[in-house]
Amino acid sequence: MDTSFAKARRRDLIVAACLAAIAALVPLFVRDVYVQNIMVLTLMYAALSQSWNILSGYCGQISLGHALYFGLGAYSTALLFTKFGVLPWFGMLGGGLISACIAMALGYPCFRLRGHYFVIATIVIAEITLLLFQNWDWAGAALGIDIPVRRDSWLYFQFTRSKLPFFYFALALAVVAWLVTWWLQDSKWGYWWRAVKDNPDAAESLGVVVFNSKMGAAAVSAFLTAVGGGFYAQFVSYIDPESVMGFQFSLLMALPAVLGGIGTLWGPMLGAVILIPLTELTRSFIGGTGRGVDLIVYGTLIVLISLARPEGLVGLFSRRARETVR
Amino acid sequence: MTALLETRGVWQRFSGLIANSDISISVERGEIVGLIGPNGAGKSTLFNLIAGVLPPTQGSILFDGEDVTALKAAQRCQRGIARTFQVVKSFETMSVIDNVIVGALVRTTVMREARRKAHEVLEFAGLGARANALAAELIPSEKRRLEVARALATEPKLLLLDEVLTGLTPIEAQAGVELVRRARASGVTVLMVEHVMEIVMPLVDRAIVLDLGKVLVEGKPAEVVRDSRVISAYLGDRHAVGA
Repeated sequence: MDTSFAKARRRDLIVAACLAAIAALVPLFVRDVYVQNIMVLTLMYAALSQSWNILSGYCGQISLGHALYFGLGAYSTALLFTKFGVLPWFGMLGGGLISACIAMALGYPCFRLRGHYFVIATIVIAEITLLLFQNWDWAGAALGIDIPVRRDSWLYFQFTRSKLPFFYFALALAVVAWLVTWWLQDSKWGYWWRAVKDNPDAAESLGVVVFNSKMGAAAVSAFLTAVGGGFYAQFVSYIDPESVMGFQFSLLMALPAVLGGIGTLWGPMLGAVILIPLTELTRSFIGGTGRGVDLIVYGTLIVLISLARPEGLVGLFSRRARETVR
Repeated sequence: MTALLETRGVWQRFSGLIANSDISISVERGEIVGLIGPNGAGKSTLFNLIAGVLPPTQGSILFDGEDVTALKAAQRCQRGIARTFQVVKSFETMSVIDNVIVGALVRTTVMREARRKAHEVLEFAGLGARANALAAELIPSEKRRLEVARALATEPKLLLLDEVLTGLTPIEAQAGVELVRRARASGVTVLMVEHVMEIVMPLVDRAIVLDLGKVLVEGKPAEVVRDSRVISAYLGDRHAVGA
């Protein structure tokens, strides 16, 4: 029994390595910049959704305010560079650490809330922070920050002529987020989180300090999300509050995981690969007037999925796998 | 040697209602003690106070020579108090083995070790064959077993069982009794809440009867069941023999 478990873990790892290798080769054949752009975004959202999944999927604390950490990551990276000349690499790391600290500071009062109240708190806090940034002159207020172009290099993490470096960084980010999840899944944290999600009282009775478990999940989740935000700032090279902290980002982090399979290892990846290209394509086909049509499309998708496969699309695979195990 | 568990003058008030008043009981190492009494006697409240779900309004709880009154449930579990729930609280989306691993992780953070321990406990509880099933797929009697297995995986000194035998068929209940006996034989002290007298009485070494939030009678099961105060508490005054 133990060996079959270890085998399944190893199989996940091998599948991931193969997929990453294939993904790394794709840009050699796809030269279209528009398509490359979509691929970068897909990988980025896969990473973000994977991060979101740690707090909301595994630990069960549904957050619809992750745009906060995304925005903080983007702003930390941009501000540290423009104001203090700190390289984006340290900016992303700094943004991650700041976000992790803020996630814990917010978790301190919020993790006492249960169910809907927690969700509402996450939305409200993200919206308040958005308003603060819109009125914070030093941080560019509503106009935002234009990241000055130095030269194309990995040092400054700026590339104006090619999207490929961004693609590979986004791929690395997705791989790291997946690996972190893979590793945590079979650690005491992973078990504690799932226990906390399923039944906090029972978890507490088995020696799980529920509050600390939630704090841990929030910190890891916020850190990874903020690194993604820092990446996004470099990718688009211009940020304003609405474009990095808007509510739609919170949704776009949650939806792939929900569609693919919340609280599963592969769900966020699968969801992002389907959802993000779909979003981008509907947006471009319908044109500028179609703002929100993409949301209608995957709103419909999610309704269909939750009717047919409440556990998400990974259910299509794991159901069969489960039956063969028995 | 001091008792494993001791409550000293424990009170619990819920806005006007007194659920436990001045309860002082003790449980010795290696005993199986039954905590019984009619509905509303305050059994579950006392049980929760011992498990650390809520702090007593007054009084103190000593475990293994240490005052644990201020400790929360998780910390008490780390000290060696494990419990089951009257209404089963399985981790429904997790497999049976994963449920038990959560318990085992109190004593080790090495996953391989926790997994090995969990398999061992599942075999002990007679659930070995169901290790890979989802907890949600278990039938009620199996869920009760899972509750016990999960608690045993924390390697407790004291196991608190909250009506684990209630609502089972006679055959299932008998299997449950066997499990409790084997747990004790492995060195675990047991305090169990039940209100089905005929199941617990042959099992326990000592019974503590609560009524209206107070300790009514305490003693050997055979004496307790004949005690007129116990009979009248359960059945009303007119059934009490020679009262």
